[in-house]
Amino acid sequence: MEAKEQSRKKKKQPWFWHWVIASAIFRLILIFFPKNLNLASRPEVSTPLTSLRRLAEGYWLKQSSMSPYAGSMYHGSPLLLSLLGPLTVQRIEGLPDHLLCSLVFVIADIINAMLIRASGQKLQMTYSQSLKLLGLFKLPEKSEIIPSGDIAALVYLWNPFTIVACVGLSTSPVENLAIILCLFGACKGLAPLAAFGWVMATHLSLYPVILIIPVILLLGYGPDTPPRKLFMQQRYIEVGDNPSEDREDSMDRPEVLHVFSWRPIIHFLFWTSLWSIYVLVLCGVSVKQYGGLWELFKRTYGFMLTVQDLSPNIGVLWYFFAEVFDFFRNFFLIVFHGNILFMILPLAIRLKHRPYFLAFVYIAISSMLKSYPSVGDSALYLGLLGLFVNELADMQFSFFLFCGYIGVSLLSPVMHNLWIWRGTGNANFYFATAMAYACLQIILVVESVSAMLNHDRKLRKLSLPELQAGKT
Amino acid sequence: MAEAEAEAEAPKPRPRPIVRLGIFLIAHSLLLSVVCCTAGILTLLLLPVLAKNTYISENALMPGSANSMLPGQEVSEANRLVKDLTSLDLKPVGGGIESQRLIAEYMSDLGAEVSYHRFYPQSNQFHPLHFLSYPESGTIRENVSCSLHGLNTVGIIRAPRGDGKEAIVLVTPYNSGKIGPGEALSLGIAYSVFSLLSRVTWLAKDIIWLAADSKYGEYAAVDAWLSDYHMPVFNGLGALNAEMCHGSNILNELKDDSFTERKICDGFRRAGTMAAALVIKVADRSEQFENSLSIYAEASNGQMPNLDLINIVNFLAVHRQGLQTKVEKMWSLLNCKWLKILGEILESLGHVARSLNPQWKFGIPAADYAEGIATLASSLYYQALGVPTGPHGAFRDYQVDAITLEISSGVFSNDKVKQNDFLLRGGRLIEGVIRSVNNLLEKFHQSFFLYLLTSPSKFVSVGVYMIAFALLVAPLPMVAASLYIDAHKLDPSYENDKSTPPASAAEKFGITFRSCKWLNAAKKVFVVHLWGAVVSLLPYFVCQIPSCTPTISFVVWVSLSILSLLILYLILGFPFSYVNASSQSQNRDWALLKSVTISAAFIGLCLMSVINFSTAEIGALLLVPMCLMAQPLKLDVKARILRNFSRVACNLALGFIGFPPAAFFVLKGVFEGFGGISVGYFWNWLETIWAWNSATYLYIGMVHLPCWVLCIHVLFHPC
Repeated sequence: MEAKEQSRKKKKQPWFWHWVIASAIFRLILIFFPKNLNLASRPEVSTPLTSLRRLAEGYWLKQSSMSPYAGSMYHGSPLLLSLLGPLTVQRIEGLPDHLLCSLVFVIADIINAMLIRASGQKLQMTYSQSLKLLGLFKLPEKSEIIPSGDIAALVYLWNPFTIVACVGLSTSPVENLAIILCLFGACKGLAPLAAFGWVMATHLSLYPVILIIPVILLLGYGPDTPPRKLFMQQRYIEVGDNPSEDREDSMDRPEVLHVFSWRPIIHFLFWTSLWSIYVLVLCGVSVKQYGGLWELFKRTYGFMLTVQDLSPNIGVLWYFFAEVFDFFRNFFLIVFHGNILFMILPLAIRLKHRPYFLAFVYIAISSMLKSYPSVGDSALYLGLLGLFVNELADMQFSFFLFCGYIGVSLLSPVMHNLWIWRGTGNANFYFATAMAYACLQIILVVESVSAMLNHDRKLRKLSLPELQAGKT
Repeated sequence: MAEAEAEAEAPKPRPRPIVRLGIFLIAHSLLLSVVCCTAGILTLLLLPVLAKNTYISENALMPGSANSMLPGQEVSEANRLVKDLTSLDLKPVGGGIESQRLIAEYMSDLGAEVSYHRFYPQSNQFHPLHFLSYPESGTIRENVSCSLHGLNTVGIIRAPRGDGKEAIVLVTPYNSGKIGPGEALSLGIAYSVFSLLSRVTWLAKDIIWLAADSKYGEYAAVDAWLSDYHMPVFNGLGALNAEMCHGSNILNELKDDSFTERKICDGFRRAGTMAAALVIKVADRSEQFENSLSIYAEASNGQMPNLDLINIVNFLAVHRQGLQTKVEKMWSLLNCKWLKILGEILESLGHVARSLNPQWKFGIPAADYAEGIATLASSLYYQALGVPTGPHGAFRDYQVDAITLEISSGVFSNDKVKQNDFLLRGGRLIEGVIRSVNNLLEKFHQSFFLYLLTSPSKFVSVGVYMIAFALLVAPLPMVAASLYIDAHKLDPSYENDKSTPPASAAEKFGITFRSCKWLNAAKKVFVVHLWGAVVSLLPYFVCQIPSCTPTISFVVWVSLSILSLLILYLILGFPFSYVNASSQSQNRDWALLKSVTISAAFIGLCLMSVINFSTAEIGALLLVPMCLMAQPLKLDVKARILRNFSRVACNLALGFIGFPPAAFFVLKGVFEGFGGISVGYFWNWLETIWAWNSATYLYIGMVHLPCWVLCIHVLFHPC
């Protein structure tokens, strides 16, 4: 799908909408052949947390006034259960099961794409604005800046991973919706929306809890800009220069842009606590007769953090915890989850001027190290990667990564088939692809971060001679 | 990996050693690809020398540790059955169910549980994704016609020392309409073993004897029984069919029979999970191979049963019963001159090595070598075809290890003693195998599943034959990387950027997208692969055309494929997209296209090597040289040097042989002679492949053909 990106970038708005509608139609066509594809039973698509079949089971248990968490089938949120549960039992004669749920997921995907597009436009505006401020204002006219929002939205919609996750009856489009909503709200400076998105995302899949740092940075500093030092240098040079009258107005703008403002943060924290209490109360009401909130936490977050289900998936944890001795289990649980936490602080310091990109890196890292990853998580970060096409155009290994993703995503079902159905392979076959996949994700994160830092360096190199030339 | 490493910034003073290694490999990619390809082909030819002797890996099997118990009394009973069956054939009354009744009668006399299994043969359907799914998903039965049905007879002996959770299956396919002498003998062998096993005390696994009605093909009968065995039908479609077809009340008719009513069970009888299955056949054609045993093992998509099963059979047949075991070989290869010469060279090399150091034993006699190559070739061919070589293939879909044993009888229509001896030997062989499998505590897992046979007692394991393949495809990523780098070096804007650093900022900014140039080539490759998918789906529609000869179908298919290619060209318009660009960018264009094509071929071949190794190996032999050599003819013709003309000739020859139908006809011509070849053959061959849901079909349609088209596109690139 990325192959089409190049051709699309020149096309104007109508083309964008055509592709969006085409993607929706493509999903609907696939939804009508669920038997042939059998995606819902693939371990890459539906994990114990995101499988709709488990959700339907949980709903059935709840309807027969048992705890939805009985029998270790369902591990999701009770709110999702009451939202999607009624749709799972609705059957329309002659149409595939779970049609209504599939439609919900398609709509969620389209909304995701729209939100990505809107935040992409905001990011792009800030980008060209800061280029202007750096004295590189001639650039946008001479060499076009790609409409990264459109590209990111289309990459998200046409990514095979997204399509498979959407058609394969997993709830990850809804989880992605909460994350994207949070980032969109933060990008636009809408504290209540950002708080709602963050609380929902954390409630649904726990790992987005680390997104609080980029969200606070986004609200405090505004969307991604080149490093602040650059603006300082520029101002220093300009102050040394004789200030002419037309420069006067551009003088104070950097200052406005780059002061960390506490007001939206306070707003955000206030709204976060409000939404959290609201969600907790709702959850408490719905699980009151089944053991209360503590039981809920144990069955959802506890299940995620202690990796109880060791059925194979595209992550690396299932194999490891199937092998590890029981008395080391707790230690390695801490190590693996600490892995995500270790990386938070250094990355936040290094990339604090680019909070949206920081959010992308966090999402990529957590989708690599989370306990039950699925292709839906990869779909999210690959979509967000499209937002930075301007900055990451010089990324190395892009071709290698492209081939690697294709190869691994084709090899993984084959290895699974060899292991489970033919019986000629074993678990190592499938785990090999999981490791290759993890390596690819590591390379993607490392290369994108270094490309971003290189881009900042290049901007500095370009802006300094420009200013010097302007001075003389 | 290496590609992108070299892509790293050039002005860095001293890159890390691994990066330097990568750069070194990529810089010498031409030499490397020649060396690797030659080494790959040589390793493939050396495989018979590298083959190891088979050994029995699972200790629990203990083949031949007990004496055969099969006495002459059982054999005379079996003789009676054979006589009854052949006499049944002489009087054609009875409506086709006499033979089933007779066999059931014999079975129930032994105290076995007997039941009938009725099935409706169905035409093979096209499930292109079947090889990736499990059996349940693909077997929705449609369009059964009630008038056509077969009737299997199933007898089960419950093991006195078992818990009924495991079973061993004996299968004797026979044509209930007309029982040939060979089929009667195979039934006789199975009967003699069955009657012995009904009395023995050591049996720990239930024995199922399936007398499969092969009126509509051996495979269909066994497959229908297996799918009913594994998927109990409660009140779904199957019950519907049964109701629908109640007009022909053969089962009731059989049960009403006063004689059989006491023992015949109604309903489907099951034993436990199957540990192994043996298909017994008797070949009555070949006189020259008296007392020989042919083993057929290939199941769908090149899957093989566990090597231990073949080993037991081979061991017992050779060392206990004095039979000569054989596996399929390509007879036409045996008489090849160059093969003999190569074998002699290897033999003399072995002698030299032994004279230097007596410990080195790698030489094998030239005749053995030729036989090994012929066996290996047929092993590769049948695995690559992906079509099971017998009814044992149905078992592999349910993870049951199964082989077909074809015992050659010779002709002894009247010789009672010889027939008795034959039945005794066959029966003792089967008894030994069953006794061995009976000892098994777990399912077969100890020995290899992935291997190629070079003789009944020699095999090449996956670790060895993968080397040949890996050497063959190793140059692909290297060449792709070096082309990719070259294409970027040719980039004029990139050169500018390096030579004139103080260019204006805007110009510098414009070059940022140089690392994404490959996206355009990737688009082309994607479109052509999409076309490949369309081409592979077309036969499904072509088949719906009524009353079509193979030739016409083939022509329709080819014309539809070309039409769809043209439509895709027109919609996405890619051959014209770069007409106006500069020659420099054109130059870069084909190199990038070739690089992406090679990467696609690499991914496709590696994927296929996991699904079906043999297909990937044969495909790599055709595809790799073509992909590596491809270069625009215009460039070579312009140069007007002998070397370039030889490259043009090479390219054209490889381009010709790379086209799947051309490759098929050339190979067929070489092995079977060019007489009477028509276009329809290819269609028929392809039809068999897709009817059996072979992954090879998908490989040809979605990897080989698109890569061939792209290589041709590169060859005729206007630059």
